Amino acid sequence: MRYRSQSVAYWYFAVAMCLFGLQLVFGLLSASKYLGPDPLLDFLPFDKTKAIHTNLLIVWVLTGFMGATYYVVPEESRGEIYSIKLAYAQLVAWTLMGVTAIVGYMFGWTAGNKMLEQPFPLKIVIVVVMLMFLFNILMTIKRAGRWTVTEGVLVAGLVLAAVLYLPALIEYDNYTVSIFYRWWTIHLWVEGVWEMIQGGLLAYLLIRLSGADREVMEKWLYVIVGLVFLAGILGTAHHYYWVGVPYYWLPIGGLFSALEPLALLGMAMYAYFAMRRSGLSHPNSLAVHWTIGSAVFTVFGAGLLGFAHTWPSVNKWTHGTLVTAMHGHGAFYGAYAMIVMAIISYTLPSLTENRKVEGNNIGYWAFWMQVMGMFGMTLSFGTAGIGQVYLERILGLGYLDTQLKLQVHFLMLIATASVFAIGAAFFIWDFFRNAPKSISDSRISEFGPVIDSNNGGLLYQKR
Amino acid sequence: MTKRQGRLFFIICTFLTAAAFIGMTIHSHSRFAELTNEDKLTPAVISGKDIWHKNNCINCHTLLGEGGYYAPDLTKITQQRGTPYLTAFLKDPSQFYSEEKHRRLMPNPNLGDTEISDVIAFLDWVSHIDNQGWPPRPIIVSGTTIPGTDVGQPATQASVSSDPVAQGEALFRSSPPACNACHSVVPGTNLAGPTLAGLVTRATAIIASPEYKGEAKTPAEYIRESITHPSAYLVPGAMYSANNQSFMPDNFITDLEPGQIDSLVAYLETLK
Ligand code: HEC
Ligand code: HEC
Ligand code: HEM
Ligand code: HEM
Ligand SMILES: [Fe+2]
Repeated sequence: MRYRSQSVAYWYFAVAMCLFGLQLVFGLLSASKYLGPDPLLDFLPFDKTKAIHTNLLIVWVLTGFMGATYYVVPEESRGEIYSIKLAYAQLVAWTLMGVTAIVGYMFGWTAGNKMLEQPFPLKIVIVVVMLMFLFNILMTIKRAGRWTVTEGVLVAGLVLAAVLYLPALIEYDNYTVSIFYRWWTIHLWVEGVWEMIQGGLLAYLLIRLSGADREVMEKWLYVIVGLVFLAGILGTAHHYYWVGVPYYWLPIGGLFSALEPLALLGMAMYAYFAMRRSGLSHPNSLAVHWTIGSAVFTVFGAGLLGFAHTWPSVNKWTHGTLVTAMHGHGAFYGAYAMIVMAIISYTLPSLTENRKVEGNNIGYWAFWMQVMGMFGMTLSFGTAGIGQVYLERILGLGYLDTQLKLQVHFLMLIATASVFAIGAAFFIWDFFRNAPKSISDSRISEFGPVIDSNNGGLLYQKR
Repeated sequence: MTKRQGRLFFIICTFLTAAAFIGMTIHSHSRFAELTNEDKLTPAVISGKDIWHKNNCINCHTLLGEGGYYAPDLTKITQQRGTPYLTAFLKDPSQFYSEEKHRRLMPNPNLGDTEISDVIAFLDWVSHIDNQGWPPRPIIVSGTTIPGTDVGQPATQASVSSDPVAQGEALFRSSPPACNACHSVVPGTNLAGPTLAGLVTRATAIIASPEYKGEAKTPAEYIRESITHPSAYLVPGAMYSANNQSFMPDNFITDLEPGQIDSLVAYLETLK
């Protein structure tokens, strides 16, 4: 940590970790309802637990992105954050919004649109908070008068993420039109601008962890983001196949979304080649694990498992089954949960007291149990989904009777999810084990980023 | 390649695909009205859509294949179930399904009468959207179409509603053995038994034909006879009967009350 104001990132990460833990509680609750009967049926039925599960996911990942940005931008632009007060005010408003949303869902206050369940007033709060955030970041860059491609991609991703939330504010009488624009937010987020954010963070981490040459890394960052958009924008059509749009979206969606894994593969190769140049010599090898892990798991969860059902003639049978849940978990985890945990692992030694840069055993257990657990969960959802497609969609067995046949997969899901949850609990515990460095503490970390990077000039800058 | 070329690649990719995407979006808007029957977007349908959202139905069910995977897809539900059945179901789902048997149950949504009819109007509007023929094969809520297996055992005895058509529809799924284990009510979908869609029209023709040797004079009597004496007339088809013996069970005459057969007939008469 070279700039004092970077320490606000700690509090964003802390909120993110709390919400992450809570997300898993609601995930486990939802999964246990598959086994049924449900003792909470009249009080907290599946629809509420699922909405809370997915909303907490989106909120904590975004909180992690914001924290990461508050950490990265001062370092890249070489200047303190424009207003620390604003950064804290923003975090408080954001957290209050999140908590209100969750309590609201429990009592049936919902807009009832998948993943955009936030009631209208809360959507407005989200927009306002995003504006506070972007203002603060852009002013930081402006005041410093300097920006790098890495942070440019990161910040552009965040600006576009805010812009793409706007269609969600509008209601349509025609359900098909409403679905059409829901994907402008959801798909263009996860397969477009959020991948920009992931790419920016990946470049930041790789440059520091491997010492790879910035010019080369940033050149390829452009190419990767170019590929993301080349495939991702028209790839939106893979959600349009069966919702009441003209026929031509089918071949377009099939073709372009099938190209999407290319960009993800590019990202993994990017990480691989960067690390190969320098070897795994960086002391924070836990952060290296999470960084490479994110790039690799994205190829698996998003690239491979997304590709598996993206062609129209396959999607026709798998659409809206547990196969989608398989992919949703693998993709979200690899691309977004893991990149946030990578940046947390990387920054934690400089944000907290008395932490060894090398990490500790708990940290590695957290990594491996999560990765194994999530792999098992995608297998469980995947086998359940294939069973569902075969029995219900192809043979025509009733939905309810099919679900009864899938009980063993649901047991497997809960078992592997428990391994995952223990890994996550280790991570969260490890996070909170050491106290944060206070903001008035002007000591500059002896470990952390300062010794981490070796890319000319930037490193040894004096404050 | 230089950094500048990398940036150029990024800019060109983004602008070209974004332009194509927006172009197709504009064109799609010119087609939505026709594809989704916007002329049938009545106030009842729109209010039904709001009720659908307000009650968070989407986080259990999928509609057009999007939503939660905890409950059956409802895209074509109104083409599989009549309004009387759906009305009675939405008044109290627990009368139609048992949590002990299926391990999950829809909680009572506590909707008023107009809310129920609005949400059904909405689902019916959705079922007519021209969506490339998805799903490729009907998705059925419960019941088996795999004869000879133990799947889809009879559900608990249903019946709350006093409407015979709704009762008949519930019985259709639950009478031991469940009729829908063998019959679909979707045109053209023959399972172990023939589809029962358009039964009345067919019955009229059958009664009038010289092959018919049974005692029925009206379609209703024909349907009753088909249930109580399945072999009185055999629908042609090698997989439906052998040696003048129908494959349809003949236990209904003894296992069902006369009133239950009445409701089954009332329900089957409504299948157009
Ligand atoms: C908590 C989850 C949940 C919610 C919320 C929910 N449902 Fe259901 N629904 C189910 C389940 C499970 C079934 C399967 C039948 C059963 O077990 O009750 C079902 C079945 C149905 C059926 C088909 C019944 C049949 O036999 O054909 C309809 C129609 C339906 N729901 C409509 C709705 C509507 C409309 C809403 C919103 C007002 C809604 N559901 C909300 C879980 C839910
Ligand atoms: C085990 C499978 C099976 C079950 C269960 C079954 N059916 Fe059938 N059903 C058949 C077969 C096969 C035929 C055609 C052969 C025939 O005409 O007997 C048939 C014929 C019919 C017909 C005459 C159709 C026509 O097109 O003329 C009616 C009406 C009918 N069934 C109603 C019912 C009802 C109501 C139930 C539930 C109470 C039921 N079936 C249960 C197998 C079944
Ligand atoms: C990081 C990237 C990705 C994330 C986080 C992600 C996440 C998700 C989620 C959450 C859904 C369910 C959405 C809903 O129904 O509301 C979904 C659906 C889908 N995804 Fe992805 N995805 C990613 C990348 C990809 C890629 C690269 C492909 C294709 C190659 C793909 C193909 C699909 C398809 C076809 C569906 C629709 C499933 C259905 O018909 O039910 N995804 N994705
Ligand atoms: C303890 C671990 C977890 C369990 C038991 C769990 C369980 C579930 C269940 C049961 C659903 C509902 C699926 C349905 O509609 O039927 C769900 C949805 C979802 N979960 Fe999880 N989950 C867990 C962790 C996670 C994590 C770590 C992520 C992402 C990083 C995640 C992302 C999602 C997403 C995106 C959906 C929506 C999928 C869709 O609707 O297509 N979950 N989860
Ligand atoms: Fe997508």
